[in-house]
Formats: sequence, structure tokens, C-alpha cells
Amino acid sequence: RSAGRAGNWSLTLAGVFPCFHVIPSVSNIVPESCLLIVVGLLVGGLIKGVGEKPPILKSDIFFLFLLPPIILDAGYFLPLRPFTENLGTILIFAVVGTLWNAFFLGGLMYAVCQLGGPGLNHIGLLANLLFGSIISAVDPVAVLAVFEEIHINELLHILVFGESLLNDAVTVVLYHLFEEFANFEQVTILDIILGFLSFFVVSLGGVLVGVIYGVIAAFTSRFTSRIRVIEPLFVFLYSYMAYLSAELFHLSGIMALIAAGVVMRPYVEANISHKSHTTIKYFLKMWSSVSETLIFIFLGVSTVAGHHYWNWTFVISTLFFCLIARVLGVLVLTWFINKFRIVKLTPKDQFIIAYGGLRGAIAFSLGYLLDYEHFSMRDMFLTAIITVIFFTVFVQGMTIRPLVDLLAVKKKQETKRSINEEIHTQFLDHLLTGIEDICGHYGHHHWKDKLNRFNKKYVKKCLIAGERSKEPQLIAFYHKMEMKQAIELVESGGIGKIPSAVSTVSIQNINPQTLPLERVIPALSKDKEEEIRKILRTNLQKTRQRLRSYNRHTLVADPYEEAWNQMLLRRQKARQLEQKMNNYLTVPAHRVDSPTMSRARIGSDPLAYEPKEDSENLPIITIDPASPQSPESVDLMSEEPKGCSGLPPSPEEDEEGLVMRVKEPSSPGTDDVFTPGTSDSPSNQRMLRCLSDPGPRPEPEEGEPFIPKGQ
Amino acid sequence: MKKSGSITSPSWSDKFSQGLFFGLFCHEMCFLQFIWVSHSQITRLYSRFTSLDKGENGTLSREDFQRIPELAINPLGDRIINAFFPEGEDQVNFRGFMRTLAHFRPIEDNEKSKDQNGPEPLNSRSNKLHFAFRLYDLDKDDKISRDELLQVLRMMVGVNISDEQLGSIADRTIQEADQDGDSAISFAEFVKVLEKVDVEQKMSIRFLH
Repeated sequence: RSAGRAGNWSLTLAGVFPCFHVIPSVSNIVPESCLLIVVGLLVGGLIKGVGEKPPILKSDIFFLFLLPPIILDAGYFLPLRPFTENLGTILIFAVVGTLWNAFFLGGLMYAVCQLGGPGLNHIGLLANLLFGSIISAVDPVAVLAVFEEIHINELLHILVFGESLLNDAVTVVLYHLFEEFANFEQVTILDIILGFLSFFVVSLGGVLVGVIYGVIAAFTSRFTSRIRVIEPLFVFLYSYMAYLSAELFHLSGIMALIAAGVVMRPYVEANISHKSHTTIKYFLKMWSSVSETLIFIFLGVSTVAGHHYWNWTFVISTLFFCLIARVLGVLVLTWFINKFRIVKLTPKDQFIIAYGGLRGAIAFSLGYLLDYEHFSMRDMFLTAIITVIFFTVFVQGMTIRPLVDLLAVKKKQETKRSINEEIHTQFLDHLLTGIEDICGHYGHHHWKDKLNRFNKKYVKKCLIAGERSKEPQLIAFYHKMEMKQAIELVESGGIGKIPSAVSTVSIQNINPQTLPLERVIPALSKDKEEEIRKILRTNLQKTRQRLRSYNRHTLVADPYEEAWNQMLLRRQKARQLEQKMNNYLTVPAHRVDSPTMSRARIGSDPLAYEPKEDSENLPIITIDPASPQSPESVDLMSEEPKGCSGLPPSPEEDEEGLVMRVKEPSSPGTDDVFTPGTSDSPSNQRMLRCLSDPGPRPEPEEGEPFIPKGQ
Repeated sequence: MKKSGSITSPSWSDKFSQGLFFGLFCHEMCFLQFIWVSHSQITRLYSRFTSLDKGENGTLSREDFQRIPELAINPLGDRIINAFFPEGEDQVNFRGFMRTLAHFRPIEDNEKSKDQNGPEPLNSRSNKLHFAFRLYDLDKDDKISRDELLQVLRMMVGVNISDEQLGSIADRTIQEADQDGDSAISFAEFVKVLEKVDVEQKMSIRFLH
């Protein structure tokens, strides 16, 4: 029977996923979450029709297994800069807004209940306040599901989303408070004050737990250079433990999870291998997608399965007052916040913020947790909660996209961050910090600068392994960008198909969805080509690739990434070994028969390239030993373009070479196609990386490869 | 608007009247030429000005600025200090001090609708960007050359990075921004590159309302 049930669910999932992607017209109008709920309703109806009892979304499954992946995905890829810049606004919306919603709604519902006749009279104030606190919180899952599809600008996205994340603390406190108070005969002022204090404990405690686990995870990742395979495990494990620990002590698990993700990310990413990074990224996206799907389907099924008690007055007034509370709250708070903001929130922004206050599965699960003895009206509450959820997800979710278009709200910028922006932004940061210091005003920039300095001086040294701890942010960004561009050039199908150098600049601004379609090949002038090659050669020093995306729907398959990265890893290891050898100049040099060795190398290199007619135009990337000050970087020097067959180094270079033979590769995971033992002299070592077309053109990938959505 | 900061100096009344005089003076000048700055802000900045002015002669010299500890570790410290001093002079009075700081005032909504006939306010987006541009462009030829860019990069990045690497970054930067092919970044190109950056927010200090 359980096997049947499991089969049932997997069939549902398997069937659900392709469906609405195959019907693009539907998914343009109806957001995914709505479709999923509908599917859930159908499935639930099916099960009920068959005669079985459909499963209900149990709260512990939800809170323990379904919610954490989504939150971790959101927290790990949280765009930190807009978040911190708007933190004050977000906090005010999250805390004050949620409190206002809860009390306003609870109070009004109490009034309704008193006036509502015999069916409702028995519901006390506390029960109503509890109901208000459950239903008032904006739900991160629903917000993510809907907002990700409408691509509004970063500011609004982070405001609503940040609010939905941070209001968890308020919800937790209010929920537990009112639940306990419902058992008391009398609520004293002391209890209220304690409740108020417990808010700080819950939120700050949750953040503290998250920070502690984040630091531990970062510290652990410093030592994982020998066990690369389980690096992703640490990230997931520590984050989940942070969540569980916080939930154990009735602290805010969501805030702990977010804090852990945010704290560990910069250090972990500097330490782990890129394969692990890719693994983490894909696993997080996968889990969060699955979780989200399951949550919405379960919502649908639970609607069919649950016991409902429909009371027109209660439900309709709940719905009505929810909306009113949200709108009023946003209006009043924005008026207050705008006094302190440099970039004010326009009425359009306010409308979107108010409209984006979606309720979701967290409210349902919290309602489900209520027990019958103390809350006999639980079914009525659940019905009302489900109604509100359905209304917000369906009506608001479906109409928000046309409204965004109608109101001409600013959309998300699709272009990547250029190196200019990065440099100038850092420049302006320094400038503003200096001006603030001159004015004696300790503002936003001052503290950010202090934090950065502290980070650079102490924290990075502890938590990041090796030389990477000293790498400035600008350099890291630059390398990432160059790597991205090189891979894009590869993906576009080889040097013969590289657009002219003028649009090299615009390559990074082109939406790569159009890139494979661009068969732009006007005749490249020699010097423009040389320019392109020079850029590639001189700038591909990064040995790791960072791909950052926090949109779960934009995963891209990168066919060349693996090979490229493996190659660079090998280079890096060879580099390290070379560096060690360079320090001991008395090590006897093994003269290897370089021409044959290199030919053998090329022959065995899977990236070896069959010569084509235009081979003399192919760039050749050569590797030189790292300069003393940055042993980790692989310094690529320029070379005259040669045909592939013309690879073997000339004999006289060979004579001078310092060639070393290495026992075994330092990391167990690499295969031996390129054996470090054949790494040769500084001026000799070459690697042929021919940007070649591998054969039949691969399908243009959907999604946007390699666009960083921000840092 | 908040009142100005603490009153600690014994001859505050003298300084206050002095400040008020300056304030009125600035008020006049500001209203006419620059921007409206409130009295409270003027007095607050004036008290800061006098606390920096150790020589008590009503002007600041470069050493006065360099005494600020955080400015010493700021990579752009020297350039920022130089921006306060007009061409060739070694002392800056309060009016000059205010004038430079006025660039960093947030852009008010109601100012956007002011008449276009008057001179552009100092804290307009264009003037803010021009201020930043002047910090790059030391030789004042209205272009950021590769060398100037290299200098700035070197200051921001520290000593551990090789010249080659910085050179390639600088080349890449210029190539991205350069549209008229002169291998340097002109002011127009600078503005264009930063069109996506929210300069009004980035280059504003909140308390200079």
C-alpha cells in the first residue's frame, strides 16, 4: 500500500513537471504555483473518488523537510548588497508591518465574532489574535514562486522577499505567545512585557545560531582540500543543523538558516572546489524546486482532504480585513520610511509591495498545528486560512503580472555587471567613506567599510585556506568575468565564429539566449583578432569559476565547463608543484624528451583538436609559472598563433627547461590524462586550448548561462 | 529638521554667532548660487569644521584633513582631500568646505521640478558624477587615461597584485567603456557606463538633507 502511494506520488510529480512547461501559453498567464495547487486538487479529488483517504500536509513534514531547502536556497543566494542597503526598510515592514497586520486583523475578527451570532460568539479575543498572527505573515514560498516569474526590479523584489523572510521571527513569537496565553486564565502586563522581550531573543538568537553554524561551516571548509567529494555535505549539514537547533529552542529557524547561508557563503566559496560549488548550486536548486512543487500540490490535496467548516461571515471578513490591513500597513509604513530613505518609494512601488503580500503554506501549517482541545474552531480557522491562501495565490498571483506591465513598473535589468561598474562602485564606496569621515558622520558607508576591514584583516585569514585569503574582491570579480566570457566564446562555436571585436565588449551585454543564434562572421581583421586573443590569453588567470544565480529557473547546462575546469585544475596543481620546485633550484632536472612527450600529451589530451584549414588563426594559450607574488595564479602569456600541429617546443628552449617529474597528482580525483610529470619548463609549457566546434551544433540552451545576477 | 549637535566649546556663543554669520552668508550664497542648505546643517558642519581647524584661523589646511585617522587608511584619502582645495590653494574656508560637501546632498524630488533656467544644483546627478570623474582625472584633461586608471586600481587593490594583471584589468575597463576609440574614458563615456548604477543613492549622504 505504501508502495502504491509512493508510486502515486512519483507519477504525479513526473507528470506535473513537464506539463506546464510544454504549454507555454498557459504558464504565461497562470503562475506555476496556481497550476500546482490545481493539480493537487485534482489528485486529491482523484484519491477521494477512489475511496481512499488523501494525505494531508502534516506540519512536521512541512517544517522539517519541505521548508528548509527553499529557505536555504534563498539565503545562500541572497543578493547581499541590495539586502543590506535596504535592511532598515525591510525590517520595518517585517516587524512593524506584521505586528500591525496581526493585531488589526485579530481585533477586527474579534469584533466580527462578537457580532456574528451564535456560531462565532464563543471565540475569544486570544483565539482571534492567534488567528490573526497566523494569517498575517507574508509567505516566502509563495512570494518566491510568484515574484520570480514577473522579473520586477531588484529593489521591490528584495523588499517583499526580505520582508517575507524576516517576519518569521515575529510570527513565531506571536504564535507561541498567543498559544500559551490561551491557556492562561489571566494575562498580566508582565506576560506581555516578557512576550515583547522574547521577540528579541527569538530573532537575535536565531541569527546568532545561524552565524555560529555559518562560521563553523566556513572553518570546516578550510580543511577540506583532501576530501573534495564531501564538501557540499558540510554546507547542507551545517545549515540544516542551524535550522534544527534554532527550532529546537523555539528560536526563529528561518532566520538561523538565512544567517548561516549568508555568513558561510563567501568563505566556503573561496575554499571549495568548483565542482563542489556546482554541486551545491544544483542540489539546492533541485531540492528547493521539488519542495516548492510538493508544497503546492500538498496544499491542493489538503484542501480536498481536510475537514472544513465554512462560515460565510468569518471567511469573507477575514479575506476582506486581510487586504485592508495589508494596504493600510504598507501605506502608513511607507510614509514613515520615506522620511529616512534617500531613494523614496513611489506609489507604484507601494502598490506592488502591498499586492505582493501573499500568504502560503506556512500559515496553513501553523493552523494545522493547533490542537482541538484548546481550539475547537480549528476547522473554521483552517478553512479561512485556505481561502485566503487560495485568493492571494490565484487572484493576486495571476493578476500581478498584467498589473506590473500595466503600471510600467521597472523590470529587472538583464545585463551583467561590467568591470567598469565594479571598479567605479568600489571607488564610490571609498569616496563616500572618506566624505563621511570628513563630516564626522558615521553612516552606512563608514560601518560597511569598518566591517570590510575587519573581515579582511581577521576573519578571512581564519576561514579561507591558503593564498586566496589575500585576493582582493576586484581581482576575483575580474577573473570570474573573464572566465565567463571565454566560455561563452567557446560555446558560440569557435574562433571562426567569434563576432567582431567591437561587439566583444557587448558580448557580456548580450543576452546569451541570442548568442547561439548569432552567426556573425564578418571577416575579422588581423589586429582585432589579436586583440581578442590577447584579452583571452592575458586574462584567464582564474582557476575557478563562479557562477552565481539566484533564480531557480535559470539553470544552464554547461557542456564545456567540466572539461575546462578540470584542465585549469590540473594547471593549477602543476603550477603549485612548479612553484615548489622553483624554490629548490638544486633539484636535478629530468630532461624529458619534450617533443615526443608533448605530442603524446596532445594525443592523449581529450581536448586535442583536429587541425582545420584555418588552424593558423587559432589562439594558443600558454601557461607560464606564476609570478612570485601570486603563486596560485596561472599566468598566461601570449604566443604567436600557431597551427596545432606546430606544437612541439623548439629544442633550444627545451635545453633550458627545468622539467620535473612528479610522483603522483596531489588530489585523488583527477584523472591522468594530463600528468603533471610532463609539466615542463617555464617557457615551454603550453596548453592547446583550441576553441573548436565539437561537432554537430548542440541545442541552444535555454536559460541564461553565466549571467551573474549580482554578488 | 534636527537641531545641531552638542554644545561643548566654552566660547560657543562666539562661535555660534560667527557660525551664524557664516551661515547667513552661506545661506545667501547658497540660495543664490548653490542649493538650499538648512541652518541646522550649516551649524552642524560648521562645528565640525572648527573642530578640524586646529589652527583656529578659519581655514583648513591639508594637515588638518590628514589628521582624521580613517582618512589615512582610505585608499582615496589624498585625492579626496585635494578635491576640497581649489586650484593651487592650500587653505579652504568654510564656504569652500560646504561647496564640496554640497555635491553629496540627496536629490530631493521637489528640486527636480525647479526651473531649468537656473544653474544646475551641485547635487544633481551630472555634477555628482563630475565630482567623481575629477577624482580620477588628475591631469584635468577631461579624460581618464590608462595610467590614471592604473593608479586608482593600484590604490584600491593593494600591493600584492602584479602590474601585468592590473594592466590587463585597466585595458579591459577602457575597452568596455571606450566608444570613440581614443583609449581613454571621457566624461560622457563615464556617465554612460554608470547609467545603471543608482548614483543618486550611492553618492548621497543622508544627513546632508
